[in-house]
Amino acid sequence: MRVVVVYKWARNPTDALVRSDGSIDWRNARMTAGEDDPAALAAAFAIAAGSDGEVLGLTIGDGDASWALARGVERAWSVADAPSLVDNAATAAILAAAVRHLGEVDVVVIGDSRQDAGVPVALAGELGWPALVGLTSATTVDGRLQAARKVGGAAQTVLLPTPAVVGIAAEADVDRAPGMKELLAARKRPLTRLSLAELGVAPDDPESLGCAKPDSTPARVFAGEPAETAAQLVAALRSEGVL
Amino acid sequence: MNTDCWLLVTADGWGGAFRIARALPGRLTAVVIGPRLLAEQVAAAGPDEVRWTDPGPVPAEAWGAALAGAAADAQPGVVLSTTDPAARVLLGAVAGRMHARLVPAAVALAVEDDRLLVRRAAVGGETIETLRCTGPVAVTYGGDDVAAASGAAAPVTPVELAAAPLAVIASEPLAVASGLEDADRVVSFGRGVRARDDVSLVQGLAAALGAELACSMPIADDLGWLDKSRYVGRSGNQISPALYLAVGIGGAPQHMEGVRGARVVAAVNNDPEARIFRTADYGIVGDLYDVVPELTKAVRNLPSKELEQ
Repeated sequence: MRVVVVYKWARNPTDALVRSDGSIDWRNARMTAGEDDPAALAAAFAIAAGSDGEVLGLTIGDGDASWALARGVERAWSVADAPSLVDNAATAAILAAAVRHLGEVDVVVIGDSRQDAGVPVALAGELGWPALVGLTSATTVDGRLQAARKVGGAAQTVLLPTPAVVGIAAEADVDRAPGMKELLAARKRPLTRLSLAELGVAPDDPESLGCAKPDSTPARVFAGEPAETAAQLVAALRSEGVL
Repeated sequence: MNTDCWLLVTADGWGGAFRIARALPGRLTAVVIGPRLLAEQVAAAGPDEVRWTDPGPVPAEAWGAALAGAAADAQPGVVLSTTDPAARVLLGAVAGRMHARLVPAAVALAVEDDRLLVRRAAVGGETIETLRCTGPVAVTYGGDDVAAASGAAAPVTPVELAAAPLAVIASEPLAVASGLEDADRVVSFGRGVRARDDVSLVQGLAAALGAELACSMPIADDLGWLDKSRYVGRSGNQISPALYLAVGIGGAPQHMEGVRGARVVAAVNNDPEARIFRTADYGIVGDLYDVVPELTKAVRNLPSKELEQ
């Protein structure tokens, strides 16, 4: 199977600062490897290994594209001028155009991000391919793509046709920092830059009317002598009826 | 502005999404791919119609392409789903086919000056952005789940659609749960606990409260101080106790997602700026090594019947 792994396609929300008026300061944050990217990469290798295939890397935006190259991917493509967008369908359209640019592809593997939960599914919709997301892993058995997931207290194995998109959600924080040898090898591996113009996409976002902090009651916080604060909290929890 | 809405439902937990969809003036069609009972429950909430497809043992995702075709014919202005994986796949299929925008984590929808306004949770819900959209829009619902209202029951129309060849080839029950899922009270700890030996401190508090003991992901995953079945968070346990008491936990969004259903969240942290105080109901700012023994003592001093569950 020819497998494309999509990585570093979003900014990390922990890089954002929400100001007191609710506006967001991204503080020049770049696209980073999401918490699900290592699990997606592992699944991409598993699918390729089970089918004598290859794994191609695809990233967008201004992050360091060598992330996948230093983790065993032989070739990667980067749409470096892709902006960070609110519209998940617009991000997906960029990715879909890049996947088409890579020619015949059997499986696209992508981290099933919590923050941008619409990108993996809109990517499948844009390509017109079947998809499963929220998966724990995927592999190839007897030349057929199969995926594992947890649904309603059961561990399921699902067979799906190709071409397909699979979204992997990390079960644990598994990223492994590459060693010096891998970092050096990554520099020699080909990284092809693509532009939005080359791909023929011109993404835009809906108009933003601004941000505001959600209406939420701040925590009642007790500070002071431990014995006193402990008594205050216990009293508060009793009045809530939870003690 | 076309505000006819399709709500895509494949599993429980659709009440919040239904509420924001019903707030739109257009016709609300619930598209249910799931058991008949689910279709009937959705119908009782009072959409204008329910289109129901029985998937049998086949994953609901198999109907993505067929549903996209049906949506292209019906041309709803708004398509909505929960974050449930299957419902999201259907949403993506429809959005791709209709060339709709897809806004994640919407918490409210409204129409103003003939345009659709989408309020969406950004930066893990720390702020709410208002977007003004033209053309068809797909959204995932990102607010709290609420019990479905009951309305004038809608008719359920069975719809036969073609399915892609997806199949469940194996299904095994997951290992026995840790007891966290049904617990009324949960005491949880994070990296604020400095050494493995100190876990007993938190354990003592949990015992006094008659609570289950849980932890954040690094405690189970990196340190192995508790079994992996006991960590709370996005990829671990998602629990709904009456009381969740977090000790020495910073409150990263991945962690807090695991306790969205908790009724009361209390936190002990030595950093007054800790993220957890933004979502907790109650907090104590202080060193957990001082506060936890005092809390344990205060709980033990309660009349014993208070802690009967």
